Formats: sequence, C-alpha cells, structure tokens
Amino acid sequence: MKALILVGGFGTRLRPLTLSVPKPLVDFANKPMILHQIEALKAIGVTEVVLAINYQPEVMLNFLKDFETKLEIKITCSQETEPLGTAGPLALARDKLIDKSGEPFFVLNSDVISEYPLKEMIEFHKSHGGEASIMVTKVDEPSKYGVVVTEESTGKVERFVEKPKLFVGNKINAGIYLLNPSVLDRIQLRPTSIEKEVFPEIAAKGKLYAMVLPGFWMDIGQPRDYITGLRLYLDSLRKKASPKLASGTHIIGNVLVDESAKIGEGCLIGPDVAIGPDCVVEPGVRLSCCTVMRGVRIKKHACISSSIIGWHSTVGQWARVENMTILGEDVHVCDEIYSNGGVVLPHKEIKSSILKPEIVM
Amino acid sequence: MGGSEERVVVAVIMVGGPTKGTRFRPLSLNTPKPLFPLAGQPMVNHPISACKRIPNLAQIYLIGFYEEREFALFVSSISNELRVPVRYLKEDKPHGSAGGLYNFRDQIMEESPSHIFLLNCDVCCSFPLADLLEAHMSYRGMGTILVIKVSPESANQFGELVADPVTNELLHYTEKPETFVSDRINCGVYIFTPDIFTAIQGVSSQRKDRATLRRVSSFEALQPANRSLPSDFVRLDQDILSPLAGKKQFYVYETTDYWEQIKTPGMSLKCSGLYLAQFRRTSPDLLASGDGTKNAAISGNVYIHPSAKVHPTAKIGPNASISANARIGAGVRLVNCIILDDVEVKENAVVIHAIVGWKSSIGRWSRVQASGDHNTKLGVTILGESVTVEDEVVVINSIVLPNKTMNVSVQEEIIL
Repeated sequence: MKALILVGGFGTRLRPLTLSVPKPLVDFANKPMILHQIEALKAIGVTEVVLAINYQPEVMLNFLKDFETKLEIKITCSQETEPLGTAGPLALARDKLIDKSGEPFFVLNSDVISEYPLKEMIEFHKSHGGEASIMVTKVDEPSKYGVVVTEESTGKVERFVEKPKLFVGNKINAGIYLLNPSVLDRIQLRPTSIEKEVFPEIAAKGKLYAMVLPGFWMDIGQPRDYITGLRLYLDSLRKKASPKLASGTHIIGNVLVDESAKIGEGCLIGPDVAIGPDCVVEPGVRLSCCTVMRGVRIKKHACISSSIIGWHSTVGQWARVENMTILGEDVHVCDEIYSNGGVVLPHKEIKSSILKPEIVM
Repeated sequence: MGGSEERVVVAVIMVGGPTKGTRFRPLSLNTPKPLFPLAGQPMVNHPISACKRIPNLAQIYLIGFYEEREFALFVSSISNELRVPVRYLKEDKPHGSAGGLYNFRDQIMEESPSHIFLLNCDVCCSFPLADLLEAHMSYRGMGTILVIKVSPESANQFGELVADPVTNELLHYTEKPETFVSDRINCGVYIFTPDIFTAIQGVSSQRKDRATLRRVSSFEALQPANRSLPSDFVRLDQDILSPLAGKKQFYVYETTDYWEQIKTPGMSLKCSGLYLAQFRRTSPDLLASGDGTKNAAISGNVYIHPSAKVHPTAKIGPNASISANARIGAGVRLVNCIILDDVEVKENAVVIHAIVGWKSSIGRWSRVQASGDHNTKLGVTILGESVTVEDEVVVINSIVLPNKTMNVSVQEEIIL
C-alpha cells in the first residue's frame, strides 16, 4: 500500500525552529515530526511513502535514507517546482501512487498529529464503498477552519464550508485521507485545492465519506499549538499506559525523557515536558509544559514553562524562561536572565532580560 | 630579490563569517553580507576596486569564515572583470583580527610584497589607499592607520586614537572606552610592512610563555585578564596597537571623506546612498538618467542594472538602486531604497526607505515604507527573499522574513 505526505512549504510559522531544519524534521515528543506519521503508516502495512515537498530536498533526503533502513519502508520525494496547492502534488506523484493492485492510498498533512487510526479508516472505506474517505475532527471553534457537513448516519459528505460565519457544524477536515486511484483522474497538474475543488466534486457525486477521528488531533504548525499538541500526545501515551513516560519522585504528570538525557538532583519536571537526547538538566531545575530539544543544557536553579528550547541551546543559572519563549538552535540565555515570550533566532546570546514578548534577530 | 623600486603591494580584506554577524539579518539569511549589493555592486567590490587603483598591486586576499563555495563564483568573476588576482582564504578557526593575517602569512608573503593593506569589508568609505601608502612611506613605521574625526558622543562605539599632531605618531589607542579619550577613531583600514608578522608572533610567543608559567604559578592562574585566550588568537586592537602605541611603530593618516560601518540592513541602505554619491563624482556614467519621456524620470543618484525594466511613467530616486532583472511597473515611485534581483514592483506602488529582497513581489497601489532612520532597528523596512506584498497593503517600519505573504497591513512589526 502507498501513502503521500503533503510537506509543502517553508514552515514559516514554526520559525525560528524552521530556520535550522525543514519543518518535517523539527522534533516533536523527541522524534522528527514526520517520523510519527511514517511509523503509523508502516504499522498498517504501507510499503512506500512519497513526500510531496517544495524545497530543501537535500537535507530531507539525508534523513530519509536513515529512516528507510531503520524502518524498512521505501521513502521517496516528489518535488514541486512551483507550489501546487493541496491537490496538485497528488497529480505530480501519480506514477508513484498507482500500481496494478488498484488499492487506495493514504494522503496525510505533515503538520497534523493524532492517534492515526488508519486500520479503522481502511475498514470504514471498504464498508461504504465510495471513492474517498476523509477523517474529520470535532473542534470548539469551527469557523477558524473548513467545516465538513455530513449526513449523520452514514458519514456521507454533503458539502464543505470554508470558515463559516454562522454555525453549520463542528467537524473540520483533519488532513487524513484515504483515496481510490480514480481520484487522481480528477486532479490536473496545476495549483489545485483539494478542499475547494476536488472533494466538493466527489461529494456532489455522493462518493465522499467522512469518519470522525477518535482520540486527539492537533495542527502543530505553530508554536502555541505545538505546546498544546505535546500535552495531548503525552496524555494519549498515559491512556495507553505507555512505558515511555518517565516516573519518579521528581516527575509530575506526563513527561518524556530520552534515555541519554541526564537530570540532576532536586529537579521538578512536568507536567507535559519532553526532554530530548543528550540533554543535561542540572540540579534544582523546574520544567513544565515545555520541549527541550537535543543537546540542550539547562543550568542550575533555572525555571522554564510553556516554552520550546531549540537544539544545542543553553539556559543559564537562575534564568526564568516562560510564556511561549521559543529559542532557536544554539541560543544561549545568560545566568539570571528573564524571558517573557522572547522568540530568538539561531546563534544568539541573550544577555539582558526580555520583559515582554519580542523577536530577537 | 629586487631593490625597493619595483616591489609589489598586496591587500587583505577581512570579510567575516556567517554566525558572527547576526545584526545583518534578515538579509544575511540568504546571502553572505560581503556579497550584498551597495549602489549595484557587492559590498566587497568597493574596497576591491579601491585596491585595484594602487600601482604594483599584485594580489588581493579575502579572508573569512564562509564556506569556500560561497565565494568561489564571485572570486573568479571579479578576478576576470577587474583583471587582478583575487583569492578567498577560509579560516579554520577564529584567530582574532591580527591572528587571521598571521595565519595566512605564507600566502600573503608569496611575492615578497613591500607593503600589505588590511581592510575590513564592512567599512564604507572612499578608501584613499594611495594617500595612505604615501603617508606611510614618509613616516617609515611598521604601520599606518586610517583615522577619521567623529562626534565625541559617538566615538566610544569605536577604537579611539590619540596621535602626535606634528609627527602623526600613534601615542595611545583604546577600544570602545567608557570615558572620552579622543574623537579620532580607527576606520578599519591599515597599511603595514611585513614587520607586522614579527609583532604578531611576539604576542603569540609571549602568551604561550605565560601559559607555561601559569602551570607553575597558581597566583597567575587567578588573573582573569590572562585567562583562556589561546596563544594563536591575536587581536589587532588590544594586542598590537594598544601596547605598541607611543613606541614609534604606528602612525595615523586622517581622512576627511565619508566613513560608516555597515553592520545592519538600515546602514547598508545609507551606505548604498554614499557610494551612489561617490559614483556621481567619479563615474557618473554608472548612474541612470531620464526625464520621464522615453525613460523613467530619475531624481538624484540612481543605479539601474542594464537588465532591469523600468516603465517610463515611474519616478525613481533619489538614492535608489535597482538590481538585475527587476521589473518596475507603471506609475511606481521609489525613494531611498534597494530593489534586489528579480523583484517585481507592480503598478502605482510606492517604496520609500526600504530594502526589497530578491524575487519579492510588491502589489499594485501597495506601500512599503519606513521613517528612514538608518540607525534604529525598524527605521528602514526590510523585506527578505520572496516576500509578497499584496495589492493595496501597507507595510511600515517593519521587517519581514523570507517567503512570507503580507495580505494585511502592518506597522512596527517583525514578521517571522
């Protein structure tokens, strides 16, 4: 079985992290974002994954070779020379997605994390016999997104409404599709929107069905949602009683700690924290609702909450970092500094406090 | 080994490196600062052209931390264009401003030059190198430093020098002092005789000896000033000029022309204007002209690359630079700005006090402007590479990073 992951653009909303690596390789819960999806696809028997990208293929390809061997799954890139929207990339990758088996293929949006109930989706697709299935998820504020209006009993999609002003439903497109090869006949190789052009056409023929996504869902393409997403992800690990979660007297709530990370005496870690490989957390440190990426050193007595600390950065002694502070790669916060929502580009040293949210270039 | 009549001169231009200067972001996210265009030519072209005017100039060395491939194309094309050999030498690790020179002494001394010019790439000035050489030969010291007088309030951002008013000998040098020492500052342009290498080696050995001593004396180890500078890390200012001031080794030559440091994108716009004014004086044929009939109306000093297309109803200048393949539409107004390669400015748009990055698109009736204060962070609006400003949108006093689309108006913002 095959799958396409829509990687697309420059990931500008996740800057400054995406100034160092392409967005799919930004770590989430101690693993590159895209690896979560590739592993879920491998688990249900997908043998080939195509990444639809439009920049930096060299950086991606190096990492992908690594995943290919470790996971024993074939990974290829389909590179857009001009942006093709959300449907065009499927046409571009056509030859890679269709084989003689006539099996449907998955399409995933790379910014999404969820439980990936892909086996259930295959069952759903077989049972309704339509041309395409999409996952939808319930949200509190549907008008921020594209709402999918469905027939309650069958899940047949009636129509899509983009950012509706009045309430028409609370299910939105979760960015996970299972499509028959015939869908590719509907897509031309030009900038095309799958929500605005392709799906409405299939829905009009009564051949598009929506399944409500069980479990959590989050678009982690921007820092605030990344942090919320980590909470939801760790919560789902807890529900499955995953052994990956850390435990101990110094751990509160759901915490993920890479086995190569070192945590000192007298620390209090959690809830909702991920500590990456080779990190050093010195004694007396308090961490909550934050992500600490590979190679970071948090010095003694520091306190970090609701923030993301980028690769190989350091946070000084007694520093306080909070309120959506995002440190890019190789950022060094000096001792005793306070950062309230500082967004710091890579290779900087922070020598004076940031009292209100500010971008440091 | 000839006599003093036909010995050659070489020039070394320090170009810096990528992680060092974060102040030039966001423009430095896409291009090395030395290659950023001022008045239509890469920044480093200006000192290179000045060096070319020196008789007996044998070779120009660019020393920096950028990867060789980033300069390979530039170096071969400028060598051909100006018909002077230019080489890029990459430092493997930081050696300090003097240590870098010493690190490459074998290459620099290849043709036994009698004199070595040292210039900093991010300095904007008229580079009066011939006058500097002449002054140096009359003083007969180890080196002569180009200096300029600045306002007393701003002097402490630089290296301050005191010189003997009669002999021009350097008497005292101090880097960024807290209290006022002098209003003459170091321009970052020097000329040396090869003795400079001996002086640098002296500092290295002295430090090595002190390091050996430190292993013996624990008291020495407590002295913070001696701590942890590797012996091959030698700074020109603190380690050579300061200690040797007053010892009849170094002299100064004062320029009264313009001088600025190009540390930020805002300053690069100002310096582009200074170089355009220089072209008006020395090579006016490089500048554009037009009166709005067959060609666009030009006001003041304007550079337009031959491949750029400018609609005749546009009005350009003063102080505008338009780079290769840019397209300026009908009724556009450009004032004090740099329009980089492949930019499209659509009809009736206005750009004032801004830098528009490569491949960007400025929509119809949109307005990209700033206060024009080259020294403040948001005083010049900077659009990075491939930024789209949609029709009728206004972007004021802001910085927009590459690959963004502005579909709502903003003021005083940094858009990541």
